[in-house]
Amino acid sequence: MQLKVKEELFDEPTCSHNIQKKEKKACKTAVPGSSTGGCSLDGAYIVLSPIRDALHVVHGPINCLGNSYNQRTSESKGNEIFYMYGMTSSINENDLIFGSEDKLKKGIIYAVNKFKPKGVFIYNTCVPALTGEDIGGVAKELAEKLNIPVVPVSSQGFSGGKNLGNKIAGDALFEYVIGKKEPDIDILTDYNINLIGEYNIKGELFLIKKALNDSGINLLSNITGNATMEEIMYSHKAGLNVVVCSKALVYLARKMEEKYGIPFIEESFFGLSSTNNAIMHIAESFKDAKLIEKVKKNIELKTKKIQKEIEPYKKFLTGKRVLLYTGGVKSWSLISALNDLGMKVIATGVKKSTEEDKNKIKEFDANGNIIMLDNGNPVNLIKMIKDEQADILLAGGRNQYTAIKSLIPFLDVNQERGNPYTSYEGVVHLGRQIYLELNSPVYDVIRKAS
Amino acid sequence: MENLKNIEINPLKTSSSLGAVIVFLGVKDAVVLMHGSQGCASFDKVTLTKHYRENIPIYTTALNELGAILGGSDYLKAGVKNIADKINPAFIGITSTGLSEVNGEDINATFNELKKELKESGSYENLNMAYVSTPDYNGNFEEGYKNAILALLKEFCKDTKNTANTINNNLAGLNVNDDKNNIRNITDYKNSDYKNNNGKNIQSIRANVFCPFSFTAIDFLELRELLEDFGITPVMIPDLGTSMDGHLDENGYLQTTSGGVDIKDLKTIGLNNLNVIIGSSLKGLIAPVKEITGLNTYYFSNISGLKNTDLFFKFIEEISSIKTPEKYKRQKKQLMDAYLDSHFYFLGKNIAIAEGIDILDSFSEIFAEVGANIKIGVTTSSSYENLKNRFEILTEGDIDLFGELIETDGNNIDLVISNSNAEYTAEKIGVPILKAGFPLIDQIGHNFKHRILYKGSANLVYEAANLLMKNS
Repeated sequence: MQLKVKEELFDEPTCSHNIQKKEKKACKTAVPGSSTGGCSLDGAYIVLSPIRDALHVVHGPINCLGNSYNQRTSESKGNEIFYMYGMTSSINENDLIFGSEDKLKKGIIYAVNKFKPKGVFIYNTCVPALTGEDIGGVAKELAEKLNIPVVPVSSQGFSGGKNLGNKIAGDALFEYVIGKKEPDIDILTDYNINLIGEYNIKGELFLIKKALNDSGINLLSNITGNATMEEIMYSHKAGLNVVVCSKALVYLARKMEEKYGIPFIEESFFGLSSTNNAIMHIAESFKDAKLIEKVKKNIELKTKKIQKEIEPYKKFLTGKRVLLYTGGVKSWSLISALNDLGMKVIATGVKKSTEEDKNKIKEFDANGNIIMLDNGNPVNLIKMIKDEQADILLAGGRNQYTAIKSLIPFLDVNQERGNPYTSYEGVVHLGRQIYLELNSPVYDVIRKAS
Repeated sequence: MENLKNIEINPLKTSSSLGAVIVFLGVKDAVVLMHGSQGCASFDKVTLTKHYRENIPIYTTALNELGAILGGSDYLKAGVKNIADKINPAFIGITSTGLSEVNGEDINATFNELKKELKESGSYENLNMAYVSTPDYNGNFEEGYKNAILALLKEFCKDTKNTANTINNNLAGLNVNDDKNNIRNITDYKNSDYKNNNGKNIQSIRANVFCPFSFTAIDFLELRELLEDFGITPVMIPDLGTSMDGHLDENGYLQTTSGGVDIKDLKTIGLNNLNVIIGSSLKGLIAPVKEITGLNTYYFSNISGLKNTDLFFKFIEEISSIKTPEKYKRQKKQLMDAYLDSHFYFLGKNIAIAEGIDILDSFSEIFAEVGANIKIGVTTSSSYENLKNRFEILTEGDIDLFGELIETDGNNIDLVISNSNAEYTAEKIGVPILKAGFPLIDQIGHNFKHRILYKGSANLVYEAANLLMKNS
């Protein structure tokens, strides 16, 4: 039984782009000769590899894992952490001829005996998928033999991009992990939620968790930053799912609603108002007056505190112009944070945004002048920055060199960001970093010497 | 040993396609195109961007499932045309990947067809391309690197093989004036515009120089300076010194490589005087390079440490008929002093190295001279036979095995030498780690670390001695 990407993964009723499509395919397939975005394996690995007490084994030739591992920015704390390990079966020509399933089995048995994990994820890749290797069968056999969950992930890269990979990962969790265990009674409170799509970049999860706990809300399970197999297994006990990242994982939230009756909302924790709204919406979904009252008080306190802390940065940053070029949720949620700091957002990238994302952008665009940038190739970005006199570019690490080579100040706001920017403390960090970058003498010094 | 466990845990190996990508990044005004699924190019781009702290011009043919089954030639052709139209580079280096090769497609035939089509269209006269087969389930980084160099030579050297150009010497007892019948007079190559530092006219010899990836950008640049000081103009293939050293170009952000070996130099390498090949991993280049160029070819497994750097300088003196400038004589004396000063810190100390064959070779050369005990070595291939006597234990494997060997030995190691992926291993045993090789993603400026020749060997022993001193 060859692992294929399920048809239903291409059908997303909550995405307006998808509804309009006649032929259901993955969104935005790459064009030959394009600068490259990640493949499905990349997307799946991003979602699943933060699960810290499981082993993550890429079944493929050396390059799928070997050329790029141990570069995760998702942080993990606690016992039994395997996040610093990269594992692959490293298929060679011999394995192609004689079959690689046996090697995969033996390799996983070796690794499980050595590390004693709570679970194993097997990622399929292009080559074994094409030659018809049965990863599903191997996973089933090993799960019985080793007595831990062994999850096959049909992440072969040629199926699509990162987005599809996210979905495939969500699907794998839904099929093989979620609902497989009941939690101890004392873990549950009256208000249990799951976060979906929070990867704990630079400890952001810990900041969000603190904000939730201060408001009396219990984070039952996080999918998947700093997560354990166990907490994901009992995540079906939550009263609400909060999707904080890509549209892709709404798929998982929808499946959990269908099977376990858990409602879901989509929120963002970037910025003061976004964080306040998120926590309020969570409280409202529990329809409990006591909780709502507590949350209101907490929000008031936090808002006062944070506004005071960002005051010195806000003084300098008010009116400064920023070009935001990042994906999906951040294309609008960061505008909220930048508004808090008094900055003027000139443009935001919408290449990876849905119609809903674009509507949200308009919500945060008081004067209606934010340009929606579809084509963010470096040459275009540089031109726009110069034409619109932007003071700084906020984007992903890939555009760092676009900016600094052109002597344009830059801050990384994607997965390689150097500081946590979510929740209450995050706004202060964001303000501080932009402030520091704009005050660095280095650009002027070089400009004068050029 | 990795075959015993059937799984790579914290691999030391990287793929052959990555080796090829890096060679093509050493060509001027170039772009790399990987024929395969978009992930192959993306993963490589991410690591290379972090390693070099530069924009890496790498593109993909975005081969999907259908293309992989029915044939990807359309994707390759479309990819090349797209890049040529949008970016107009001087060179596109094309590599295959596991996916594009596994169905047995003849990509070379597609490549030749494409070249013909582009030529006939008449609108791509300035575009040059090369293709190398690097299916990732075959070979490793060093092989991909070597094969990409060969692909460049085969592509551009077709008509320039010229046996009359060779300087007829052999390595033992070099004497340029030996056989007057077979040698063209070196003065024929005299470039009258070439003056050395003292303003004197000296003859210019052109040498094709093949360096391993273990050389940092600064290694490439220092070697270039050294050769030029002897009146030798190097054509470095690839030239990772001028392309990947990290420099702010006047034009700011560029869409292609900002340095590297010029195509027109690649096209005339058969008209140069000799080939110099450096690096154990490039030993397999000797025969084909000699065959393709028809030139005398000299090979050095490394140019590190006192003995081997002396040998290299002797060779350069003979080739160029110029005495070693005072600058380098001083550097030799500095290295000798560095050895004497630092050797105390190496007495009774054990070093463990997990690196590719070239760094294994060049570093162990230096450490053997300065008296450090090299206990454990783990590397990425099985071709380390000639180094076995320098190590107590030497084997092919991954970083996890490296950690196990250290533990089994009783954690008796005082210094670890490896790349960023070994950070955790070193931390676990509480030992300092000197980072070298690839990838180096948790530090910057490593491309400025000079560790070959006299000056670089001194740098290395000082750096290692200081780490050992701090940890005593």
